[in-house]
Amino acid sequence: MDDPLSHTSIDLKGRRILAVDDDRINLRIISGILRHEGYEIAEAASGEQALEVYATFHPNLVLLDVMMPGIDGFATCRTLKKTYGDKCAPVIFVTAKSEADDVVMGFDAGGVDYLTKPFRPKEVVARIRTHLSNQQLVEQQKDLVDQLSRANAAKDRFLGMCAHDLRNPLSSIRGLAELMDENAIGVLTPEQREIIQTIHGASQSMLLLVNELLDVATIEAGHLKLEKSRVNIVDIVERSVHLSNIEAAKKKTTIELVKLATDPIVNVDTNKIRQVVDNLINNAVKYSPRGSIVTVLIHSNGKEAGFAVRDSGPGIPENERHKLFKDYGRLSTVPTGGEKSTGLGLAICRKIVEAHHGTIGVDNIPGRGAEFIVSLPLIR
Amino acid sequence: MNFSGSILLVDDEAHIRKFISLLLRHLGVTRIFEAPNGSVALEVYKKESPDLVMLDVNMPVMDGIETLRALKVLNPDCVVVMLTSLANRQTIDEAVALGAANYIRKDAPPEEIGRALSDTIDTCFEPDEPDADTPPA
Repeated sequence: MDDPLSHTSIDLKGRRILAVDDDRINLRIISGILRHEGYEIAEAASGEQALEVYATFHPNLVLLDVMMPGIDGFATCRTLKKTYGDKCAPVIFVTAKSEADDVVMGFDAGGVDYLTKPFRPKEVVARIRTHLSNQQLVEQQKDLVDQLSRANAAKDRFLGMCAHDLRNPLSSIRGLAELMDENAIGVLTPEQREIIQTIHGASQSMLLLVNELLDVATIEAGHLKLEKSRVNIVDIVERSVHLSNIEAAKKKTTIELVKLATDPIVNVDTNKIRQVVDNLINNAVKYSPRGSIVTVLIHSNGKEAGFAVRDSGPGIPENERHKLFKDYGRLSTVPTGGEKSTGLGLAICRKIVEAHHGTIGVDNIPGRGAEFIVSLPLIR
Repeated sequence: MNFSGSILLVDDEAHIRKFISLLLRHLGVTRIFEAPNGSVALEVYKKESPDLVMLDVNMPVMDGIETLRALKVLNPDCVVVMLTSLANRQTIDEAVALGAANYIRKDAPPEEIGRALSDTIDTCFEPDEPDADTPPA
């Protein structure tokens, strides 16, 4: 691909300049100087004509005489700025007198610079070169930003499409393996069972990764839509605790829920917040030793409400804390039961919580473990 | 699962049909018909009059919504469960408005699919149908 920033010395040959002056001799002199520099020149003898020529010539720069019969240079400049807005080529005024008033009025009208008559060719050439270079750099920068945002959007689309198309086959593989493991097509030999369980485990963790990639792609593309409703935060957390306990039992880990005397009501997308709760509880189980206790505490302070998940893992290494809620921010700590990690879970949690105008944070508990705290605005 | 009827399974992806049909067999459903797209599904429906249709949303030739409309013309009372992958709220709402009984995420684990299906069956079919094990209390 052509890299617009690779040109260190800018080639300005062929850039288009519109020269406007009612004095034909002046026009001829300036055109001569500029053509010699390799620019393409169009001439206009009045403000009215300048507007006409501009529309078809699309100059990169306008040299505009101030004193002209009909609409003068300032009025012409204002009209150009009004018509073409940000896309208008820079205008340099040409004035016989270098009176301060004139110059100031010129800048007010939208001019970028001024030249005085009689011309000093070297000055004309140098100033014009500067403005054309500036303008070209700005154009290139805009192109580059456009290119980058297009590439980024294409990446998000690609990621989303990939993940989407991988999901169905993967869930079929997982489902078929699970059914075979349940003897749906007959009793398996121990070796067949081991193989089918391997297939099930592998497809399960791939599916998890694909789902997380899809979440990231959806959120990054700005397509995270929240379907909010007023819910009791305890209901969401309680269900997750219940379901996670089934899985945690395999590690002899127990998840305890500590409620408050009152039930805080929040306005949230239940499924998305459930995803956050599930993720934090799963992490807590994942990084705590076998047979430990994970505590989930409901909190509320009258303004915010939420939950905290307290594990008995190794805690968050201080020097890695900054990575924690970032995409693919895997830390050096390892799951205690060989569980998989994509490094995306907490980044997704943060994005979901922030979309709800809430906060997510982590503290190390002095004794042992980490505590993840989610707070959401409370409905009063 | 307490269901002795027949099910027509419509999905353009063979692996989905394989997975769901094995799941249905595992749940005790014995009469299962399959169709790879909407127009074949309509032919099978006319011939076999299945009790329940599981219908994929995204299919070439004739998509799920179009097929659902056609099925409801053939039999306004036919019980249709939509099979979706990434739940598209609008499509689901449209299907429900057209008379779909429920929707099931086909990328869910087997037990979740089974539970959703049996919930639908419990709501859509009278408990005292001839093959039911126990009469209503």
